[in-house]
Amino acid sequence: MTAPSSGRTVRGAARPGARVPAYWAPDGAVALWNDLAAGRSAVESPPASPFPEDVRSAWAVPRFDPRERAVAPRQPVEGYGVFTFPYGPVSMGVPEAGRFDVRTYGERVLELVPRVGYKSRRILASLVGLTPADAGLRVERLAGNFAAAHVSAFLAAAESAAGRAVPSRDAWVRAVAQEVQRIYNHVHVLARLAEAASQNVGLAQAHALAEEMLRVAGATFGHRWMFGALLPGGPVARLGPSDRDRLARTLDRLSEEFESLWEVFQGSRTFVDRIQTTGPVGRDEAEHWGAVGPTLRATGAAWDDRLRVPVVPYDDLFLPVAVESAGDALARLLVRVQEVRSSFLLLEQMLQRWPRAEEAPVDPAPPVGPHRGIGRVESPSGDLVYDVALRDGRVAAVGLRTASDANWPVFAVGMRSQVFTDFHFAWESFGLLFAETDR
Amino acid sequence: MELLGAVLTGAVVAFFLGAALAAVDRRAAYAAAVAGSIGLVVAAVGELVLGPVHGVAWTGPLGEPEALTLDGLSAFFALAAGLVWVATSVYSVYYDDRPTPLLALAYCVTLGSIALLTAASSFLLFLVGWEAMTLGSYGMILQAAGRPPRVFSAAFVFLAFGEGSTLLVVLAVAGLHAAAGTFTILPVAASADLAAFVFLAGLVGFGLKMGIVPFHLTEWLPIAHSSAPSNASAVLSSTLTLAGVYGLFRILSVLPAPPAWWGAVTLSIGALSALLGALFASVSEHTKGLPAYSTIENNGLILVALGVALVARSEDLASLYLFALFAAFYQALAHAVAKTALFLSAGYVEHATRTYDLGAVGGRAKDSAPGAVAAALIAPLSLAAAPPLAGFVSEWMILEALFQSFRFSPPAIEFDGLLAGAAVALAAGLVLVAMVKYIAFSTLWQPSSPGPAERPRGLGTVLGALAVAIVALGVGAPWLLRFLTPAVSAFARTAAVAPVSGLLSIPVGWSIVSGSPFGILSPPAVPVGLAVGALLALGYYALGRRGTSRRVDPWMAGSAPGASGETYSSFGYSAGVRIMFRSVLGTREVRTRRSALAPAGPVPYHVQLEVLDPFRVVYDALRRFGLGTSDSLKEHLMPGILGRYLAYLLAAMLVVIVVVALAI
Repeated sequence: MTAPSSGRTVRGAARPGARVPAYWAPDGAVALWNDLAAGRSAVESPPASPFPEDVRSAWAVPRFDPRERAVAPRQPVEGYGVFTFPYGPVSMGVPEAGRFDVRTYGERVLELVPRVGYKSRRILASLVGLTPADAGLRVERLAGNFAAAHVSAFLAAAESAAGRAVPSRDAWVRAVAQEVQRIYNHVHVLARLAEAASQNVGLAQAHALAEEMLRVAGATFGHRWMFGALLPGGPVARLGPSDRDRLARTLDRLSEEFESLWEVFQGSRTFVDRIQTTGPVGRDEAEHWGAVGPTLRATGAAWDDRLRVPVVPYDDLFLPVAVESAGDALARLLVRVQEVRSSFLLLEQMLQRWPRAEEAPVDPAPPVGPHRGIGRVESPSGDLVYDVALRDGRVAAVGLRTASDANWPVFAVGMRSQVFTDFHFAWESFGLLFAETDR
Repeated sequence: MELLGAVLTGAVVAFFLGAALAAVDRRAAYAAAVAGSIGLVVAAVGELVLGPVHGVAWTGPLGEPEALTLDGLSAFFALAAGLVWVATSVYSVYYDDRPTPLLALAYCVTLGSIALLTAASSFLLFLVGWEAMTLGSYGMILQAAGRPPRVFSAAFVFLAFGEGSTLLVVLAVAGLHAAAGTFTILPVAASADLAAFVFLAGLVGFGLKMGIVPFHLTEWLPIAHSSAPSNASAVLSSTLTLAGVYGLFRILSVLPAPPAWWGAVTLSIGALSALLGALFASVSEHTKGLPAYSTIENNGLILVALGVALVARSEDLASLYLFALFAAFYQALAHAVAKTALFLSAGYVEHATRTYDLGAVGGRAKDSAPGAVAAALIAPLSLAAAPPLAGFVSEWMILEALFQSFRFSPPAIEFDGLLAGAAVALAAGLVLVAMVKYIAFSTLWQPSSPGPAERPRGLGTVLGALAVAIVALGVGAPWLLRFLTPAVSAFARTAAVAPVSGLLSIPVGWSIVSGSPFGILSPPAVPVGLAVGALLALGYYALGRRGTSRRVDPWMAGSAPGASGETYSSFGYSAGVRIMFRSVLGTREVRTRRSALAPAGPVPYHVQLEVLDPFRVVYDALRRFGLGTSDSLKEHLMPGILGRYLAYLLAAMLVVIVVVALAI
């Protein structure tokens, strides 16, 4: 990874005296947003070329060259008996295929180099020339677990680029979809950790709860992964008065189920012991390497896009931000547990205040260039940024910085000096998806 | 019988003749050693079959009769040593290509003195042999290939411990003489205190030579630290320690019936030695250090079996007593043969690769002659107690003996047996790690840097014969146990019966039985079972396969295998043990930044995972204390002032005058 300051075209970062929070340094995206909020155009010059790769480099979003460069802070290690242990590409059921190079003298990880881009799916490149609605069909398939977050961010960026107001109801539906999917994903992470620790009873219950969340999504949005549901012209979300009542009752029940499930895990000494002190990341390291999402919040930094980048309807809802300070796998899980609770709370608030969703259309974020907009949401694993340029109403270029992009180096740092058996627990606790980087 | 006596005498003489011949021709010296070894084996076998062998006899300087004789006990050790030496001596003819004859000289002296102490009829002659053995071994270590300062320091430490051992053995012999009034090896009726003194002096004195904890430094240091020659390593590790075992057995054979605590002490020290030896073997990366640590483990096992026997004796458990003794003897024999094969094949590898680094050997042992490859595979397997090999039978017997520690009546000793059993089981597991590592990285691993593999002639035959011997010792254990019965009888001073019986359809005499019956094992049936299983598997494979086979490169995450030029390291194989046992091994990771002279890019860390022998810390502290004390004494008592020395003289004279005056 190159130094954060090189090749930056964001004026906010270059401005003397402007303090850019360190954890945004790798992509400079927050400075961008600050500038946007101040009504300035953050980009000095629009991208010269419509090709996605150029857009990405222009935005200083980290570029990952498959098979060549690793997304990792390097700390070369040599010594007697030290060797490279290639691990993957199909390992422990990771979402999508990927490879890790582990430098080790046996048992202990001295340096971990995630080799992302093992697969090249060319999804982003294939979006060029499509209308935002058509492109959305592909965006939501980029990483199915995070479909709602990806589509919401992509559409927000496209709407900002087009300068088109969004119906208030759409913004609310996107928020409901994101929160439902967040609960699903956090419970899913819990299940994966339970599987790694052979907590079979808890594993079955967590899987059951995750399945319930998928069914909620299916009943409300017409698709278990909400594919198509958030796109213009997609199926209308079933959120009429009686649907809302039923949904509220269901969520109420699931919320209680989650609490009793968490009781099971909290009471399991072996489970807690196994993830405590596993994959620790200090706050300085997390901020230095640009951690986002639960990974960042588990180190004590209270950053959440839903609060820091308040858009409709989050600007009108109560959201307690979840923060832990230990920075290990347990802290990350505790953050997720609190976020499950806050998501249930957000859903309850939204269902109660639903009539406000029928109010006036919402203005999009100001464009960051001619026909170019930024969309960012808090995906289950953290800050997700889309950068979309339009030409004649069609996608001209797409830039993307996913939560996984930001957290890969943090994972690599957190795995240092851990032993092989910590790998699975650390890995799952970061919530990383190869799918998010192999695009 | 006279003929056998003459053979025995001739054998001992042949070794010393070889030492003299070394000045003329190395090969002649080793040939004499081969002849002596064969003679010793013949005499020992004759003793075990026909009865005591009496060689030359004469009257010693103290007017006592001295003679070269073999009874059952000494015949067993002479047999084990002789078998080993036949192999090492033939091997040495090809191995020793040094410009000076000093190695051959020291080698022959060491062998001759071990033969002498084994055949000695009196403890006086035994002591002569013991001291000559220490000096001969010292000479062999001085011929090591390592850097001179390390060689000298290793040899010096060996000599210092060796002399300490001699001192304690002299004390033990003096105690026996005080009780019996003669040096001749005969049962003595010593008082309980004197017997305990002799036992403890003997245990520590002979234990020093066996390399047991906390004196294991004497075992690994000369071999690993100074990289002693391979033939010397084999002799040191297989037969020098065997001499220690013989001495201990010899002392015990003349002492009166032991109290239970003797056995408990022996059992505890043995279990600790087995555990630490196995632990250090599993983390050793030295092609000779690893077998040397394994020797500590095996000598610990011998002591464990002896400890069980001594406790059983004091508790009047006759059957367990004899069974544990058989286990101890068989362990000694199995270890001597397997360890010799291991060291000689290590020498072969060293000859071809010029390295002692197990990780750097890179499987080159498989380029050797077929016999050498067989030895390189079978010897570690036997030491790891894999069926149907020799080590498997002896380790089974020792564990069977330990399982019966519930028969001990004092709860403390029963608990001791329990702990020892756990330690031995853990040691067996750790040795498996060590030996699998040794086999994998010395023989099976893909060559990482192929180079010219030299093939010394004849070595393959020797090693192949040793491999056959290891298998035979395993499969033929019931018959060999019966053959060794005179040795156990001589030690126990009763008519022992080999613990051999039958089971189900296995013929009587084909199975080893512990207790009455407690456990049962049929060594000849094991290879039959293995063969049947292999045949079934082969048949299933032959019938069930579809006629297609697919050969693929090893999967390295989609990239070409070995693209990075790096493979799994032998260090990595045992890193788990290093980290798991960090509290015992004192494992710590040392990180240093290399200087900025490295090429462009981030400066790499240098990482070293170090382990530390806890006893080494103690020795270092003792050494520092000793040196510091002598330094300060030197400074304060001998400051180089003439007046002070005159004052000493005056004071000494006054003291003498006062003493004389008082005496008058």
